[in-house]
Amino acid sequence: MSEKVVTFERARRRPDPARVAEFAETARRLQREREESADVVARVLRETPPEEWPRLATRTDLRNSGALNRLEAEVSALLEKEPRHALLLSDLAASIAETLPPDSYPAVVLAQLRAHAWKDRAQALAYIGRYPEALEALDRAEQQLAFGSLTHDRAIVRYVRALTLQKVNRFEESRELLAECSGVFRDHGDSNRYLFCAIAEGIQLYREKAFQRAYETFAPLVEVARELSDAISEARIQNNLGYCAVELGDFRMANIHLSQAMARFIDAGKRMEAIRTERASGRLLVGKGAVADGIRRLRDARRLFLMHGMYEEAGLCGLDIVEALLPESPQEAKALAADVSEEFTNGGFNERAHDALAYLRKAFDENQASAEIVRHVQAYIASLATNPALEFVAL
Amino acid sequence: MVTTGSAPDFDERQFEALYHEHFGFLVAVAMHKFRVPESDAETLAHEVFLSYLKDPNHVIDLKKWLLGAICHASRYYWRVNNRMPPEAATELERIDPATVNILESLPNQIAAREALECLSPRYQEILRLRFFEGLSVPELAARLGVKKKYAAKLLTKCLRRAETLYVRKGRRRLRRR
Repeated sequence: MSEKVVTFERARRRPDPARVAEFAETARRLQREREESADVVARVLRETPPEEWPRLATRTDLRNSGALNRLEAEVSALLEKEPRHALLLSDLAASIAETLPPDSYPAVVLAQLRAHAWKDRAQALAYIGRYPEALEALDRAEQQLAFGSLTHDRAIVRYVRALTLQKVNRFEESRELLAECSGVFRDHGDSNRYLFCAIAEGIQLYREKAFQRAYETFAPLVEVARELSDAISEARIQNNLGYCAVELGDFRMANIHLSQAMARFIDAGKRMEAIRTERASGRLLVGKGAVADGIRRLRDARRLFLMHGMYEEAGLCGLDIVEALLPESPQEAKALAADVSEEFTNGGFNERAHDALAYLRKAFDENQASAEIVRHVQAYIASLATNPALEFVAL
Repeated sequence: MVTTGSAPDFDERQFEALYHEHFGFLVAVAMHKFRVPESDAETLAHEVFLSYLKDPNHVIDLKKWLLGAICHASRYYWRVNNRMPPEAATELERIDPATVNILESLPNQIAAREALECLSPRYQEILRLRFFEGLSVPELAARLGVKKKYAAKLLTKCLRRAETLYVRKGRRRLRRR
């Protein structure tokens, strides 16, 4: 029996001193670069117009791991608010990462820096709907990760790929990737990302219209998010549960979940997310026939958008209400459309939005206004955020 | 032991301590659980340490993270190396060169039998299967119910033991004369 026993020589195994030194030196250097670059990145970005960000790649104070980590955080923060700016910033990060000399960091670290820069670029591209390019950027990211020790990084990249594949309805591939990533995150004790995978699986079921299964997937995750003290994830899960409940016709539960989502977003300091949740839930309720409830939520959301000076979103929300009011209160809808048009004019928005709103007002004046026209105008104005040069075409 | 992502506050000695504390464990996992050769296991462990540095603040449980990383790195190692590359299979078949001379030194089967007689019944059986019945290492492993690599190790051990006892027996004979 003793022949089969493998002696565990942990105590006697000594690492190569050169490798220990490389590790300590790299650790110290990455730590120093993180500390030094925090202020530098913030200042440089503040002082440079976004359209010139990609040209900053030659600045020596940005050509290090700390700056790249900082840029990664900035891209992540900008994705929701300003996806086009996030893309410009991710271009900058990818340029820096790709042009770092091969001997500037240990190969494993350099591979991580490059892979994360490409992953961020992919996320930004996906946010503005450029999915094929996003998938190409993810290919580039994965190509960097040719080290066995980078499975966790590979899972992060593949998680982004899974989300992107969902957007182009490649659900089976997405599902397989999510299962794989979920296992890797679990094995690494990365509970947060493990939770994200579970949320993504629920979202996929929702997209596939498996609402009951989606609800059952989301429901236990509320507790997981609470245990992790992740208020934002908890808010998103509640929001998703609300959406599932609406689809399942349970408006009472929908209201509870959506209200919880709002509260958690506010707790987490994500006021804008909270307002957007209110708007989305209002639209959903109207769409499902709970018009009075839906309009009430939409009015609340619009009031809050205006209160925070978010006139564009307030206008789009106003058009949601216009569409909801149209069948029963056309005069009220007409008056609101005029208000929205005025807000856009006063707010100095893209001139093309005025053309679209003028078209809507004319339709009201001629008693030709319809839900289809309202939706057409609204979709056009929303698309100006990612395509400001798009010409308005009347229906 | 560091269990939270507090790496940015380490000083250099703490980095070194972290490496020393977990290095043996990671190498042992790669070698014994996944049978990664020692030098490659040490390289994998080193790369795992380096990859940890990218985002230490997000590592909640360092030991668990390192264990997950080395396990996945080892699996990846075999995936890239085609699970069991031809060289590795050959390696398992190959007898330690130091032991080849033992066979050559045995002038004939009688001497071999004499050597065998010095061994325990289990060792005798192993050498008999390999050198008299001509079983390959994988066949031997299957017969003994052990892994191929372990069978190869066992074989080497038997041959060394046979050599030692055979030489000792010869010396005793010489003394008697």
